[in-house]
Amino acid sequence: MKNLRVSSSPHITSPATTRRIMLDVIIALMPAVIAMVLLYGFYPLVLTVLSVSMAVFSEWVFNVVTKRPQTVRDLSSVVTGIMLALNLPPVVPFYVPMVGAAFAILIVKMLFGGIGKNFANPAITARIFLMLAWTGVMTRFVLPVDLSDGANLFAYFSHGVDISLPDAITTATPMQHIKDAISSGGDPAEGLSALDMFLGRIGGSAGEVSTLAVLIGGVYLAVRRVIDVKIPVLYIASTALFTAIFFADSPYVGEYVWTYLLGGGLMFGAVFMATDYATSPKTPVAVVIYGLGLGFLTVVIRKFGTMNEGVSFAILLMNIVTPLLEKIKRKPFGTPVKGAREIFAEIGAKFGKKSSRDEEGGECVG
Amino acid sequence: MRFAFRTFGRGTHPPANKFTADSPLVRLDVPEKLYLPLSQHIGAPAVPVVSVGDSVAAGQLVGESGGKVSARVHSPVSGRVEGIVSRPTASGGKCAHIVIVPDGEGRRVSMPVLGQPSPEEVKERVREAGIVGMGGAGFPTHVKLSPAKKPEFFLVNGAECEPYITCDCRLMTERAKEVVRGARLLAYAAGADKALIGVESNKKEAYAAILAECVGDDLGVSVQAALLRTKYPQGAEKQLVFALTGRRVPPGGLPADVGCVVDNVHTAYAVCRAADFGEPLTERALTVGGREAGRPGNYFVAIGTPFSFVREMTRGEKSDDDLVKIINGGPMMGIAQSGLDASVGKTTSSLLFFGEKEAALQEPTQCINCGRCIRCCPMKLSPRDIERAALEKDTERLEELYVQSCMECGVCSYVCPAKRPLVHAIRLAKKTLRERGGGK
Repeated sequence: MKNLRVSSSPHITSPATTRRIMLDVIIALMPAVIAMVLLYGFYPLVLTVLSVSMAVFSEWVFNVVTKRPQTVRDLSSVVTGIMLALNLPPVVPFYVPMVGAAFAILIVKMLFGGIGKNFANPAITARIFLMLAWTGVMTRFVLPVDLSDGANLFAYFSHGVDISLPDAITTATPMQHIKDAISSGGDPAEGLSALDMFLGRIGGSAGEVSTLAVLIGGVYLAVRRVIDVKIPVLYIASTALFTAIFFADSPYVGEYVWTYLLGGGLMFGAVFMATDYATSPKTPVAVVIYGLGLGFLTVVIRKFGTMNEGVSFAILLMNIVTPLLEKIKRKPFGTPVKGAREIFAEIGAKFGKKSSRDEEGGECVG
Repeated sequence: MRFAFRTFGRGTHPPANKFTADSPLVRLDVPEKLYLPLSQHIGAPAVPVVSVGDSVAAGQLVGESGGKVSARVHSPVSGRVEGIVSRPTASGGKCAHIVIVPDGEGRRVSMPVLGQPSPEEVKERVREAGIVGMGGAGFPTHVKLSPAKKPEFFLVNGAECEPYITCDCRLMTERAKEVVRGARLLAYAAGADKALIGVESNKKEAYAAILAECVGDDLGVSVQAALLRTKYPQGAEKQLVFALTGRRVPPGGLPADVGCVVDNVHTAYAVCRAADFGEPLTERALTVGGREAGRPGNYFVAIGTPFSFVREMTRGEKSDDDLVKIINGGPMMGIAQSGLDASVGKTTSSLLFFGEKEAALQEPTQCINCGRCIRCCPMKLSPRDIERAALEKDTERLEELYVQSCMECGVCSYVCPAKRPLVHAIRLAKKTLRERGGGK
């Protein structure tokens, strides 16, 4: 008999691996990528390829330079690359996603220790960085390819390739439209079609506009149990709730709710960004606070902020709060559940120290 | 009522791999030498009451319990005591073993059959027969039967949630009558008027067999069978109590705190044999499995049979050269063996022989913070944080994270996509706490 292998139990592991999880996320992103090509042609696909290549290359170089074990095989940088590209307007110059991907991987991910250690979502942070660096190109959106006359198929190849687009082709996104409605007091849904927003026939970030494609990916991730479904569900529900609360005095509260749900990358943020492993909380109580906080911040930024869109900043802010949320202690199974009376008694004892001390003293005397 | 399977929160679903579920129990031959471990249970080891050269009969007492929490040891065969030696045990340490050479004369002693016993008589018989919890922990059963307050439920654990192991399943299928009778006796002795036998839903045949025997209320005890959802770790004590009664055993507490006593189906079977047939516990059912076992199956094996003999009898066409790992117990909680020197004890429920493919473990990579370990932990702990604190030897943080509540079921390590050895880190953490002296 050879030397036997002796190890600590358990002696079997599940088929899940980091690489398989990342592959699942890539698969889930594919509907959004396909929708992007159908809507905006091939130029944003080229941007996606550039973004992914740069992300993978950055991680490879970082590991080589710092003499760390090579980690590009886990596919996580591919995920970051795709997510970043899908988050950009469809007609940005080619170097924008490349700079963004390098920033996301090198600064936000690898410098903090690589996969699982980053404090904020790399793709979102890179997008915010690009917003600040190239505000002009990052806020210039175009309408999808118009297929009403068949001869226009050529547009799939030419659409957006010319960087110096005439102003006539650029368009206001629904979020811009809603922002204007907030200040003017008009109908936010005027001229917007729910079906167009659901399918993505609007101006917006390349991969975020099609709610349908994003939801297909979300269902896949939920079925494969890659993401914690509570996060997107709570995020979307709380956005609807807080929109209804904040716009309660407006005659168009219903319009605000559905346009806010379908517009501005909320679905993409909820399904793919807010559920990022490294930066989302894991314990049930923290998840609930995180989901509610995301919705609250999104609506506050959208209504009161100077920017049209609040999803990126809401997720970034809640990412930063996550370590604090995880400090909420988790009691082991079987810990007796306290009734409301006991909780109040405890709080009373904490804040009303004087009275509790009196009581104790009384008991001693008695 | 498929939707009404009882179960607990969280947990996971490892592949069941119960390849031997249809192999009937077969009695394994007696080896040339038996090595009876004197420490087959939690608590003080038994004290030998025979000396070298003595001749013993089958069923004769050879080790008297060495304390309040301890259990007796009996000889499974008639033979001669060859020596008392220190040998490795299946759990990794060493302890004294009584070596018995069978003489094939078939001398046998047995205890008188209990006709209409009182609860005290059953308790005494359980103690006399050296019965311990045969699910794995090996807690002396007679101690469990004297809870501080009268329990309401006696729960019999037939979940057998560990992959590969099928001996309890076969026992329930083939010896349902004895199992139910044993459950009745145990409940009667503990003072409970209800006994519940929980069986996982992947053992339909066993459940049907048990259900058919659950009639009448002899001794004032009603025995019921309950189907449990197939999920790991369904057979963990606290999880089983919750699944069957909806009660939560508090951290650091015992099932007795919520009016329950839990024992394994094999223990129930042994109690029935002891009370109704006068047999002490000298053999047990054992599953031999894994792809490198040539003749996998379920065997009745005499306590004290060396693992090497079990291997010899079940090797079949397979070669020992392909053996990579030998596990005593299931793949989730079992103990990997460094050799075949240990012998079958009262808690040895299976021996698994793994080849390269089954034993393959991947190298751990960096934690990606996916939270699976936290979401799946049946005890609601945070293995991710415990691992971090354990590596930093941060004892304060470890206590804040309730490390002591961990039962080392292995779910966190199993589900981890980064293949991190979380259970191992938790064991280290417990050790750190013990060494510091603070570990409660």
